[in-house]
Amino acid sequence: MNFGRYKRELSALLAYVALLLAVGVVAPSFFGAGNLRDMALNNAPVLLVAVGMTLVILVGEIDISVGSQFAVCSVAAGWMAKEGVPVALLLPAVILLGGLMGAVNGALVGYLRLPSIIVTLAMLVAWRDALRWTTQGAWVQNLPGNFQWFGLGQGVAQWLIVGGALAVLAAFSWMLRNLGAGRAVYAVGSDAEAARLAGIEPRRVVFGVFVLMGALTGLAALLNAVRFNAVPSNAGIGLELKAVAAVVVGGTAITGGRGTLVGTLIGAALLGTIGTALTFVGINPFWEKAIQGAIILAALVSDVALGHLDRVRAMGLTLGAARAK
Amino acid sequence: MNPTITQPEARELKVNAPWRERVFPNNEWVLIVVILAECAVFSVTGNNFLSRDNAFEITRLSVEIGLLALALTPIIITSGIDLSVGSMMGLAAVVLGGLWRDAELPMPAAIALTLAVGALGGWLNALMITRLNFPPLIVTLGTFSLFRGVAEGLTRGIENYSGFSQGFLFLGQGYVGGLVPTQLFVLIAAAAACWWWLHRTPYGRSLYAIGFSGEGARYAGIPVRGRLTFIYVLSGLAASLAAVVYVAHLGQAKSDAGTGYELMAITAVVLGGASIFGGRGTVLGTMLGLFGIVILQNGLRLSAQPAELAGILTGVLLVATILLDRLSTRARSQPRAAHTHAEDFEVRNSQVAILSAVILLGAAIVAGSNWMLVRSVREHAAAGGVPSSPGAAGAPAGQPARGGRKSVVALMPKAKGDPYFVSCKAGADEAAKELGVELLWDGPTDLDPAKQNEVVEAWITRGVDAIAVSVENKVGISTVLRKARQRGIKVITWDADAEKDARDFFINQATPQGIGYTLMDEAARITGGKGDFAIITASLSAANQNEWIKYIKERLAEKYPEMKLVAVQPSEGDRDRAFSETQTVLKVYPTVKLVMAIAAPAVPGAAEAVKQSGRTDVKVTGLSLPNMCKPYIKEGVIESIVLWNTVDLGYLTVYASNALAAGQLKGGDAGLTAGRLGKIEVAGDEVRLGAPFIFNKENIDNFDF
Repeated sequence: MNFGRYKRELSALLAYVALLLAVGVVAPSFFGAGNLRDMALNNAPVLLVAVGMTLVILVGEIDISVGSQFAVCSVAAGWMAKEGVPVALLLPAVILLGGLMGAVNGALVGYLRLPSIIVTLAMLVAWRDALRWTTQGAWVQNLPGNFQWFGLGQGVAQWLIVGGALAVLAAFSWMLRNLGAGRAVYAVGSDAEAARLAGIEPRRVVFGVFVLMGALTGLAALLNAVRFNAVPSNAGIGLELKAVAAVVVGGTAITGGRGTLVGTLIGAALLGTIGTALTFVGINPFWEKAIQGAIILAALVSDVALGHLDRVRAMGLTLGAARAK
Repeated sequence: MNPTITQPEARELKVNAPWRERVFPNNEWVLIVVILAECAVFSVTGNNFLSRDNAFEITRLSVEIGLLALALTPIIITSGIDLSVGSMMGLAAVVLGGLWRDAELPMPAAIALTLAVGALGGWLNALMITRLNFPPLIVTLGTFSLFRGVAEGLTRGIENYSGFSQGFLFLGQGYVGGLVPTQLFVLIAAAAACWWWLHRTPYGRSLYAIGFSGEGARYAGIPVRGRLTFIYVLSGLAASLAAVVYVAHLGQAKSDAGTGYELMAITAVVLGGASIFGGRGTVLGTMLGLFGIVILQNGLRLSAQPAELAGILTGVLLVATILLDRLSTRARSQPRAAHTHAEDFEVRNSQVAILSAVILLGAAIVAGSNWMLVRSVREHAAAGGVPSSPGAAGAPAGQPARGGRKSVVALMPKAKGDPYFVSCKAGADEAAKELGVELLWDGPTDLDPAKQNEVVEAWITRGVDAIAVSVENKVGISTVLRKARQRGIKVITWDADAEKDARDFFINQATPQGIGYTLMDEAARITGGKGDFAIITASLSAANQNEWIKYIKERLAEKYPEMKLVAVQPSEGDRDRAFSETQTVLKVYPTVKLVMAIAAPAVPGAAEAVKQSGRTDVKVTGLSLPNMCKPYIKEGVIESIVLWNTVDLGYLTVYASNALAAGQLKGGDAGLTAGRLGKIEVAGDEVRLGAPFIFNKENIDNFDF
């Protein structure tokens, strides 16, 4: 394996290892099988969203509407299950719904060329308020018995959820590296005009990436919802920040064109571990947010310490520097 | 033109451009049309929308966000972003409170130091952005967590500084000349200074150059780093200034100040025509964008339309304005690839005309449906007697409901979407129907003390007979409730009380002490008075929960020496978070035999975690709604939950409000007849619903809410 390819993910990995070592010394019980399984299960939905977010950021866009889409998909899954839609059909239905919401973003960003941060900011507000209006805050309760764990029982289903999330990650990782469509994502993110000249249709790539983002959000919402026997109407608040943070801590350049899903996995693992780790170590939860912020910044600073100035330079002085070219 | 330069559009530099292009380089005039359309619609649908008082009230509410938006304008012009401004407000607020109360500094010194802290925070952002070359989005995402986290850490989330001097509060609550809100002058001064600086000085112009091309600006001799540092410091400064105004406005300083304000401010800036890619944006546009949003929210409220429409319409407006702008820009610079910038006015004008026609049509549709809705509501009301509108000029709001006129009762929950309050609303609707009163149900969508004040202000303007508030923030809301009373509106608090002189009656379903003691007693009963337990709370800064925890601890120390509280973990009112926190608590503290969750969504979350862990020796109790917990109570995971009948609470509140407005309920009464609840005890200025109730396996099936 060519290790050099992943040197950009190294700083996040080092931070992660350091965190694990520190926790391991203070609270070895952290590494109990039960805890690791629970953490994997709790973070699987965020990981799926982060996979989609990686694609979106790779093409040089951003999607901050995922939290609201997640909530819409969760509630829709609950409603459908309650209306008697078979559990087997929930999966395609929710993925389709997510894909449709993603397509709205994709059409506005890809084809009408509106800035993604604005479009998804608008959708963040609009979907959330539309959902509040329709549900009036009520939860979806009294779901059929086979909704929780897809009716498969906790033991099987929880491995299915974690395994499914990792399989999606592996599949997308492989596709990004080996398929033409995957390479096109990098090409568009690096230089859309050059990609166009090379015969890639950037608009279609951007559209497709947003559709995938929506579909993955739908999948994440369903896999999260089936862990319980009721669906709250306020799920996913702040999810967009978690996903973006995981992607960026994992070494993906916010300006697009650079980054890997391996990095995203590390980033998601790192951020998903902090909260639990702090409780194990016995740090007062009042400081949790501050420490989380500090770790995000530390991961950035460690980049410099590791001498990856090339990456930092490539990120440009400002957010839009790469676009202005 | 030079074909190698791709972004030479600097349109504002064209001295000979037509006036419209100079004043509105980014089609900001569209916003004026939108604002006029909003005003036109709301003057028809809203009560007292077009009044002088309301105009000033709108400006008061927009000062904090306006300051943030002004600071973000230059940042976005340089193609940067600052997500940390809302969190900085929280940090600055607690610093101000701490310096004033704990360090006992005189207020001016405390303000000066707070502003310095804000500048320091901005400088931290600037340092990482300019010296380490990190993208602003990521840096400020980090400091977004960091600043809020430090604010919570410093105050343990609990500290709520209040009791500020009248002189200071005048800044946020007073009227200059009895009319103009004081803080408006802060905004005007800031906007004027910002306008001059950005549009009339070389310094401001250089920011546009940086936004177009940072590298190009550097070659042109502009000290890019220095300028960027300055604007981020300025942003921190503006955030702390906004915090000072916020504290004076609410009369309290807490770590949750300014939550979510960054998104509102960014929305205003972008709506105002600034390009997120840099190089474009005006102060005028930002101000128009700000008022576009604020008027929309205010107008919907005065029209008694669901507040959720505001979010949907803001989203639509945002996409529509940039779409219009994009299309008109594209038309202007066709053909794109050649970048010849043929000033094809004919094409552009027709395009713009068509698009504005489309937008106006859209606005007309929205307005029309709005109007129809309101008219149908009014006809409905008229069918019951005299038309319900209290009238714009003459009959002021607070006249007691007389004879056939339908009285208007306005109820506010702490948070609209919260299932707890949803169940209260069911009872309120039932009572309103029985009594034939018009019920307004509005409030913040998330816990937000500033928003509660805003809604009460709107109700005062709109004119209602009685206001009933579930108070999130005692100090903050009391000022505005007193104002409502002065205007003759009857004021009731329910669920949680305000200061005594700010309301006529309090519907008391349980005191914090009663809740805390009952929870603790129940916990002791379940565990047999021995062993460890953990609490899952809402957010660490939630005022109610913190008060309950105080009494839980008090009772614990007093009566149950063999029990021990080992952890208090936050759930942020999110079921899934409560779930994972409980999982962790069970592993870290294996001795815990009881999890007490004291937020409605947290109880089922904790119960699911206990259930999935297979730990049958651990029980769950707490404060939640019966329906949510029913499956777990039947399975025996949740031993019991403590609450009162929330449907009855909503029901009683409407009955009491109506009786008060009609003069049937007065101080000194011993009882109140409330529909199906029968005779309810009144003691002094409190209407008593009864003590907290314990739901368990035996009685849970009797309740459905």
